[in-house]
Amino acid sequence: MATMAPPTPPRVPKPAPNIPRAGLRLPAVRDYAQVDREVTAVLHPTLAWFGALSVAVTCLGIGIFAWMYQIYAGMGVAGYRPPVMWGVYVVSFVFWVGIGHAGTLISAILYLFRAGFRTTIYRVSEVMTVFAVMTAGLFPILHLGRPWKFFWLIPYPNWRYIWPNFKSPLVWDVFAILTYLTISSTFLYIGLIPDIAVLRDRETNPIRKAVFGALALGWRNSDREWRHFARAYLFLAALATPLVLSVHSVVSFDFAMALEPGWHTTIFPPYFVAGAIFSGIGMVFTIVIPLRRYFGLRHYITLNDLDAAAKLCLFTSLLVGCAYLSEFYVAWYSGNPVEQQYFWNRVFGNWWWAAWIMLLCNMILPLSLFSQKLRRNTIWLWILSLFINLGMWFERFVIVVPSLSHDYEPWRWSSYAPTWVDYAILIGSFGWFFMWFLLFVKQLPILAITEVKEIVPAPRRAPGGSH
Amino acid sequence: MAGVLGAFREVDCTIAAIEAVKRGRLGDMTVFSPAPDPEIAAAIDAPESVVRRFTLIGGLCGLTFGYWIAIWVSKYWSLVVGGKAIASWIPYTIIGFELMVLIGGLSTVAGLFIHARLPKITVAGYDPRFSEAEYGVYVECAPERARDVAAVLRTSGAVEVRDER
Repeated sequence: MATMAPPTPPRVPKPAPNIPRAGLRLPAVRDYAQVDREVTAVLHPTLAWFGALSVAVTCLGIGIFAWMYQIYAGMGVAGYRPPVMWGVYVVSFVFWVGIGHAGTLISAILYLFRAGFRTTIYRVSEVMTVFAVMTAGLFPILHLGRPWKFFWLIPYPNWRYIWPNFKSPLVWDVFAILTYLTISSTFLYIGLIPDIAVLRDRETNPIRKAVFGALALGWRNSDREWRHFARAYLFLAALATPLVLSVHSVVSFDFAMALEPGWHTTIFPPYFVAGAIFSGIGMVFTIVIPLRRYFGLRHYITLNDLDAAAKLCLFTSLLVGCAYLSEFYVAWYSGNPVEQQYFWNRVFGNWWWAAWIMLLCNMILPLSLFSQKLRRNTIWLWILSLFINLGMWFERFVIVVPSLSHDYEPWRWSSYAPTWVDYAILIGSFGWFFMWFLLFVKQLPILAITEVKEIVPAPRRAPGGSH
Repeated sequence: MAGVLGAFREVDCTIAAIEAVKRGRLGDMTVFSPAPDPEIAAAIDAPESVVRRFTLIGGLCGLTFGYWIAIWVSKYWSLVVGGKAIASWIPYTIIGFELMVLIGGLSTVAGLFIHARLPKITVAGYDPRFSEAEYGVYVECAPERARDVAAVLRTSGAVEVRDER
């Protein structure tokens, strides 16, 4: 007699950390309390953190010493000789502004596109943006012979009856960078308010509790607050999105409005914006990969998130590569011998090494990201990000120096070599950036607690009806 | 105003409480949640935020001011270059745009602060648990209705109900 066996129940695979599934983006994160506990656990200073902070402050000290020497001795110590009057400072200014672009791209543009992978990496990117723009803003001031007069660029009623020239790209820069710094700081702070309220409610030290209380502005997670918060955040994202595109376009106008060969081209705004986003994502990898490993946040910043960001990095690398090749094509097609000579000099002349570092790091090595295996290999991603940072610094070097040293008049052609002051101030800028970043990491959450809670399933009554 | 506060561990209990309070017209309600929740927002069915008006008005003011200051300065301190306009609107669009974003963004924040009533000194009806993992429903009501409200909150699954007088 045949017997009917009940069908075997399907085996439900055990949720594995780091491997998100549909409807469950963070399988290893069970509830809200775990999010609070694990994210706030990062905030306790460690010996390694003090060590890293000491290195950053030392680098900053080196930079401050070099700047003081430059103020004392004059701009000549920075290696400027006509016609190359823009060197490492302008290169570093554009580099840091570019780094500052990925934060707003990830936090604002990807927010508007509802890209899920941004949730766990956007706070780090936003913080990076604010500190990178703060760093970038120092370079035009460092580049002034009399840096204490920098405020002359800001339009205000004054006894001189002199106003800035609003047709000058340098004045556009002032407006663009200050607006970007203000809006990105505001965006960061508004997003932080609910998270600071979490810290306020968990803090036991009365002084820190009072500070968090003041910063949280009395936030209490009410429906009224969430409703207006969501709308304000959306509109800030909507305003920040065109701002990202405009800021680096304006920075590119510093070059494109001049008549130098290699600079006077309409491709610069999109080329700069793509390059900025590319370099910013490179820096995000440089920072996020050690953070997730060191702080044990691999089940929050999952491989899928890094994989998606790597695809974005690959896409922007292809855009940048396309822009590089377009420049060569336009120079050839233009029939302009000065342009043709300039671009030939760029890759085969005295700056060939800088141009080939740029092409290798920004165009060739990122092609490895077509491989999914490499996109999910964090060690390779981190190494690649260092190459991208290097390549993008050299991209700006290749734009600035060869054009100035090899312009229309052959008798003016010259060379340029950065001095120890240039290098010291560059090192100091990294010290300044990482000092602020490290201080942030130990005071405020590097993961957006509230937004992570939004993707963790909300607690519900058990099917039996009890709670 | 005084009222009754119920603390909940589950989102569905919270929604049940919101619906029961609305059904019984027991009083004005404030709901606390550790994160914004679309189901709670749907249950409350509050009107749309008016912060967007601040953004629009601020943006327009910034745009106007940006163009105005650039044009006014050009006329006030003319840089005369033969054949070129003293006030040229194309480069001034950059100033107008940047100030539109700047003033629009800051106005949005002002709108948020005004309508969310921030900064707040007193936090009546709030419990630190609501920023961690629990939900809260605070119902403003007269003392004589407090018992009915408390009963509704308990029936909906509140783990704790207390008077906030």
